[in-house]
Amino acid sequence: MTQAIASPDVSTGSRGSRVLGVATLLGLATLLLFAFGPTEPDIRLHPTTGEEIGQFDAVRLLYLHVPLAVLMYVAFVLCAVASAGYLIRRTPWFDTMAHAAAEVGTVFCGLVLVTGSIWGRPVWNTWWEWGDVRLMTTLVLFLMFTGYLALRRATVDPRTAALRGAIVALVAVLDLPLVNRSVEWWENRTLHQKSTLEELKIQDLTLFTLMLGFLVFGLVLTWLLLHRFRVGWLEREDAEHGIASAIAERRAAIDEGDVDAAVGEGT
Amino acid sequence: MADDLDLTPAPSRPEASRRRALPTLVTLLVVAAIVGVLVKTLGDATLVFHEVDAAVELRTELGDGRFRVVGTPLPGLVETVVEGGSAVVFTLCSAGALADVVHVGDPAELLQPGVPVVLQGTWTAGSVPGLAGLATPADDGWHLRTDHMVVKHDNDYRVEQGRQADIESCSATG
Repeated sequence: MTQAIASPDVSTGSRGSRVLGVATLLGLATLLLFAFGPTEPDIRLHPTTGEEIGQFDAVRLLYLHVPLAVLMYVAFVLCAVASAGYLIRRTPWFDTMAHAAAEVGTVFCGLVLVTGSIWGRPVWNTWWEWGDVRLMTTLVLFLMFTGYLALRRATVDPRTAALRGAIVALVAVLDLPLVNRSVEWWENRTLHQKSTLEELKIQDLTLFTLMLGFLVFGLVLTWLLLHRFRVGWLEREDAEHGIASAIAERRAAIDEGDVDAAVGEGT
Repeated sequence: MADDLDLTPAPSRPEASRRRALPTLVTLLVVAAIVGVLVKTLGDATLVFHEVDAAVELRTELGDGRFRVVGTPLPGLVETVVEGGSAVVFTLCSAGALADVVHVGDPAELLQPGVPVVLQGTWTAGSVPGLAGLATPADDGWHLRTDHMVVKHDNDYRVEQGRQADIESCSATG
């Protein structure tokens, strides 16, 4: 397997994933076209003064920020479910899935923080607001899953890494409801607005573009997960095959009577 | 066959430990960062936004301490100069109460009547510069002297040409 991975014939792609990749790219292009093209800027008129108020063109960033945030939830929930699955079944499939979902979710979480910050500067008048409870809970989520990824690498034994990772993931995911409901539970500690979709204060092309964002970033998430899972699986097989082949080769050397070679010269 | 085999003994534990030192250090730094964020977030009482009525009610308790207040600027923003620096004066309204504001420094780009803002500053006794320019001032001998302003927008994304904003009426009692 070690040789197979190094071979150019081995790829994490398949016909299906290539089609998905093309669809994802086309979807991203379409989303950007709608977000920065035909959708209207957020402009309303003050009922008394008639002045234009709103977020103006900055609202267009929400077609990226909001879907990224929602798909981040999906990735972390998937990580938690797979982690629970690992704790119950102890199979590598669950651990590999949990690891892949955590990695992709962390990337999405980072993008949520970055796009939110870029949007916040013109709309909120600040890049970052310490104390905003949704920002803080999201930052903690990002840090916890960064810690999850670091913790996995801090352990040599894959079973120990999987076990520790699963426990940390199940603790970290408890932050998700805090992130999501923070705007309701601590309304006076956040600049974030309440849910637009729950109150359906969005319509027509604006709603369509937001839904398109969910679909497109859903495709991005699926494509990334698929490839990251396959990379993780190949890495695992590579490591297991490397150990197995080393043992087999040393046994073969012993069988041939070449004890020095089997135990290593000079030992 | 022995020539083709890599029979190098497995690395000793200290070497393996060194390889794992960086991820372990990163893990510890992440834990420290999480603790730092939580302490900073939970430990700062100024991070709660008071409505204007609560800020008025708590005026004595708040004293000269900094706090945050959320409200909607009423029509009539007056640009002026305070202690040699630029300032904007307006009346803030929420929960049926009014407070005059003297915001020192650059205001938010989207500061407009009808767009809620969160301000950070202190209660200050004394006259308000530019009071005469305000349409419906609180004019109660106090004002909020603020130096930090952020905008708290709503969740309304219904876009129609010429649509009026839904602004919560502020029938202030003073």
